[in-house]
Amino acid sequence: MNVSLQWLSDHVDFSEYSMPELDDLLTFAGIEVEGIQSLPDHLVVAEVLSSDKHPDADKLSVCQVDDGSGTPRQIVCGAKNYQVGDKVPLALPGCVLDAGDGKTFEIKEGKLRGVESLGMMCAASEIGLTDDADGLLILSPDLKPGTPLSEVYPAVFELEITPNRPDCLSHLGVARELAALAKKPLTGVSHYGNSTTPTRVAKDEEIRISTDSCPYYTARIIRGVQVGESPAWLKQKLESIGLRPINNVVDITNYVLMEMGQPLHAFDMAKLDGGIHVRPAKSEEEFVALDGETYVLDDTDMVIADSKKAVAIGGVMGGEDSGVTESTTDVLLESAYFIPSAIRRTARTLNLHSDSSYRFERGADAYQVNGASDLAVKLILDLAGGEAEEEIVTCGNLPDAPGAVALDNDNARSVIGSDISDGEISSILESLGLECKGGEWEMPTYRLDLPRPVDLVEEVARVYGLDKVPSNQKAWFSPASKADASFDFASKIQTRLSGLGFFETRNLKLISEAQLADDLATNHRGMSPVRLKNPLNDEQDYLRPGLVPGLLATAERNVRFGNPDLRLFETGRVFTATPKGGEVEHEHLALLMTGASAPRSWAENDAEGLDIHDLRAALDQICPDSLHFQPVEDDRLLCACSIEIGSGKKSTKLGLAGIVSPARARELGIESPVMVAEINLKKLMSAASGEAKYEELPRFPGSSRDIAMVVPAEMEAGEVAAFFESHNEPLLQSFELFDVFQDPSGEKLPADKKSLAWSISYLSPERTLEAAEVESAHSKLLDSLTSGLNVEFR
Amino acid sequence: MLAELEEIKTDALAAIGKIDNEPDLEQARVNFLGKKGRLTAASAGMRDVPKEQKKDVGQKLNEVRTAITEVIEEKRAALIAVRDAAAFASVDPTLPSRALPKGGLHPLTHVLNEAVSVLRRMGFALAEGPEIETEWNCFDALNTPEDHPARNESDTFYFENGKLLRTHTSSVQIQTMLKEVPPVRIIAPGSAFRRDEIDATHLSAFHQLEGLYVDKSVSLADLKGTLEYFFREIFGSKTEVRFRPHFFPFTEPSFEVDLKLHATGKAAKWIEIAGCGIVDPAVFEAVDGKRGDAAYDPGEISGFAFGMGLDRLAMIMYGIPDLRLLIENDVRFLKQFA
Repeated sequence: MNVSLQWLSDHVDFSEYSMPELDDLLTFAGIEVEGIQSLPDHLVVAEVLSSDKHPDADKLSVCQVDDGSGTPRQIVCGAKNYQVGDKVPLALPGCVLDAGDGKTFEIKEGKLRGVESLGMMCAASEIGLTDDADGLLILSPDLKPGTPLSEVYPAVFELEITPNRPDCLSHLGVARELAALAKKPLTGVSHYGNSTTPTRVAKDEEIRISTDSCPYYTARIIRGVQVGESPAWLKQKLESIGLRPINNVVDITNYVLMEMGQPLHAFDMAKLDGGIHVRPAKSEEEFVALDGETYVLDDTDMVIADSKKAVAIGGVMGGEDSGVTESTTDVLLESAYFIPSAIRRTARTLNLHSDSSYRFERGADAYQVNGASDLAVKLILDLAGGEAEEEIVTCGNLPDAPGAVALDNDNARSVIGSDISDGEISSILESLGLECKGGEWEMPTYRLDLPRPVDLVEEVARVYGLDKVPSNQKAWFSPASKADASFDFASKIQTRLSGLGFFETRNLKLISEAQLADDLATNHRGMSPVRLKNPLNDEQDYLRPGLVPGLLATAERNVRFGNPDLRLFETGRVFTATPKGGEVEHEHLALLMTGASAPRSWAENDAEGLDIHDLRAALDQICPDSLHFQPVEDDRLLCACSIEIGSGKKSTKLGLAGIVSPARARELGIESPVMVAEINLKKLMSAASGEAKYEELPRFPGSSRDIAMVVPAEMEAGEVAAFFESHNEPLLQSFELFDVFQDPSGEKLPADKKSLAWSISYLSPERTLEAAEVESAHSKLLDSLTSGLNVEFR
Repeated sequence: MLAELEEIKTDALAAIGKIDNEPDLEQARVNFLGKKGRLTAASAGMRDVPKEQKKDVGQKLNEVRTAITEVIEEKRAALIAVRDAAAFASVDPTLPSRALPKGGLHPLTHVLNEAVSVLRRMGFALAEGPEIETEWNCFDALNTPEDHPARNESDTFYFENGKLLRTHTSSVQIQTMLKEVPPVRIIAPGSAFRRDEIDATHLSAFHQLEGLYVDKSVSLADLKGTLEYFFREIFGSKTEVRFRPHFFPFTEPSFEVDLKLHATGKAAKWIEIAGCGIVDPAVFEAVDGKRGDAAYDPGEISGFAFGMGLDRLAMIMYGIPDLRLLIENDVRFLKQFA
């Protein structure tokens, strides 16, 4: 909301406050100052002394203007809406104006079509006042040429009023609040809350209400008005906060709205057919509003209607045809109270937000409905003449005023944590307009936000200020939670992987339907991905079921940016839907590797490409000695080669790894093999949770023997390893594969065979082994290899 | 015999003096001191030496052997020193380092880790909750009016079954209080979602850090002390912190926290960084209603809560101008924080 400093000073004298002090006052009232608009320097009032046709341009005029300096100044101008003698804004050379899009331009002396022009006369839109770009802004004739325009339109605060404070949605409201905080008197407002105009209950044919959305409606008729331009003071007030003046009657309703926060509407009596009927809209009822748009209403919306048609969407916007125009003579002035939720619903469903709906939906003060009507009528009679009917005609009843609340001062002190005195508490509440009666605090009618004791505590804390509250450092010892353990485990893995040369990524959790195909499907047995009901766009309509889709998208982007060598990982939440319609969330870890195995450097300028064994090496590092890998047949599309990652004796499945199919990698623009893995972090954590235990170091030397075996080319090394694993020989300590050899030419080895070379270690914890013992154990191993696995030895 | 020995010594010293490499030195040692060397051969002549001279010749023999050995060892040490000196002479220490793959944590993780470590020092334990939430946990229990704009489908992501993607981590407050009894002292970092088009200052999914402390007589003074300490640990002990009255449905009173920070080369200004307040009794009542007990009787206990945007914290701490950089994961960007 825009609030003019000049307008505020109608009610409070802030003359001794500097701008930063006022800013602070507002800020610590809980009213956020989002910006301060002020007109630029070198922008002054000028009087047009003469205007002649430009010799070389039909659309331009050459004017002499009085800028207050005593010497006429020549300005070339394209506007037509002024007359000689008018006062207009003049931007002098050096004036910096806003050019939109965050850009500015500076006014300079120059020539327009060969004629010298020493400045620019401006429209309201050009100086950022209102959106009126239609010709020059014609200023009050009373202004003295040379007056800086910033004195005519002083600074305006852009304020953010929190939704609990609708009472601050007006100049009076803000002034009232600031006066309380600055302990200053509030002036010029005594009549607003208590109207002295007699009221009369409307006859049925005058006003009828047939909806709960409008508890109280009033009308006052003013006959014989002269609609015309508003006086300068009124136009300046509205312009200063960005409202475009329309005509005196409409301007007065807008003025009262901005002054008191009570929206009003003025109807042209001649365009009303019979009495006012406040009713629900009919289903599919069409309505053309002031903004020229047609709205299709339904029965949850409320309209103000005459006997034939709707003339306004209640509390939101008037109709195009029923408003006050130059030809209007008789006016019906509406001042009413509408239920906030009803207005909110209509404004939202129609996406039609007005200054009026903004206030009603937050909660206007029902008790100033008549007072606002009074102020508007008084101004109409002053500025547009005519005669008002003696009574305000009313229909319905005012809602209950806010009740009284008891405040336990000890509780307030305890919540605030400060020994603020009873007197101080009372003085704060009284300054805000509350009255203590019989031990309870009574609210002013405009404070709808204080129904509970805690709301009063809030007021005391707010006004008292947190700067006066001591800073306590109160701690409590918390036992580590499960979440702590998960966080620490994830941190450990993140740290290890980054030490291994992996970058951590954090991809968006929302992905597209197409990206689902990139999922490794670690979770998908009987599960489906979770789809949003109202996605923003089709790039983000699913929650990720796994981390690999995001990693692949990141890899694609990085390769495109010229970084083909990637080691990436991510930890984070993934989502799947159960067949029963619930959702499951898991924490996952995923890795992606592609490109060269080492960065290119003088020492290594021909590094090999990364392959699946590098990925496994990384996995081994994350969780030493606890993972094993099992190739799996996989019909899923993503991977050309899939490996199940398991752990423990029972081989708990933790996740999957694989090489992305070359076809998919090519689609992503990646030429090198792309390896990915995805693991359930919680399962990994329980697999890794065994505590390290000391084992006695071998005290006696061991002995090792090498075996070079020739096996069918398709036999997996894992099969041989499993054989060693199951071989029953107490002296066999460990085995290690140290060479794999194949010869496609068939010269050194048949092409359908491969050679695997193993080093087998024998060790006894009790003694140094005799050569004969080792020989005997080794030859038993060789024998059982021959019979069990059908291998040959080289 | 004595003369012969003296000659051997002279020859040996001369020969060794000229040697400039280790193999030649070894050869010289063999030539003079080896089994078939000249000194060994000469010492064979001892048996012909008359008995009365044996002592002198023997002494001479030892003297010559010792002298030659010393010279050889001296020479050897000198040659090794030369070799050692030469060993690394050709190293160019200004060559770029041998490249290891570089890795690192995401800047958001750095920020999160730092925040968590400070808060843990203050006795907060971590808590978590689902990101797919019920409307009750995300809004109702947090005292959010039925027709609050945040509940709109235009602002919040929903699922067909009526659940939603949590719009703030504050739902973890509810999740925790439903499970635990006071005192509760938790922090909950996590994702939150809002139906915003992604641009430089908005992400549809972003990161928050929530805090909640519920105990007997927790006050604004405790809240103030906690957050002042927290931000001064993160941004430096002289950081100015101010609390501005604000409004949130689930705290009363509510404040926004501003820090006075310098962007590089600019004057310090107040930057909004967190929201906080005293837990509204309506939240405790909702929790007790669901629990079916009076564990959170607002007459007995009170609490404070705070929340802040981690993405925003990262932007401020690292001077990152555009939120999209945080989700694009460009390795050139990630390298800057490794």
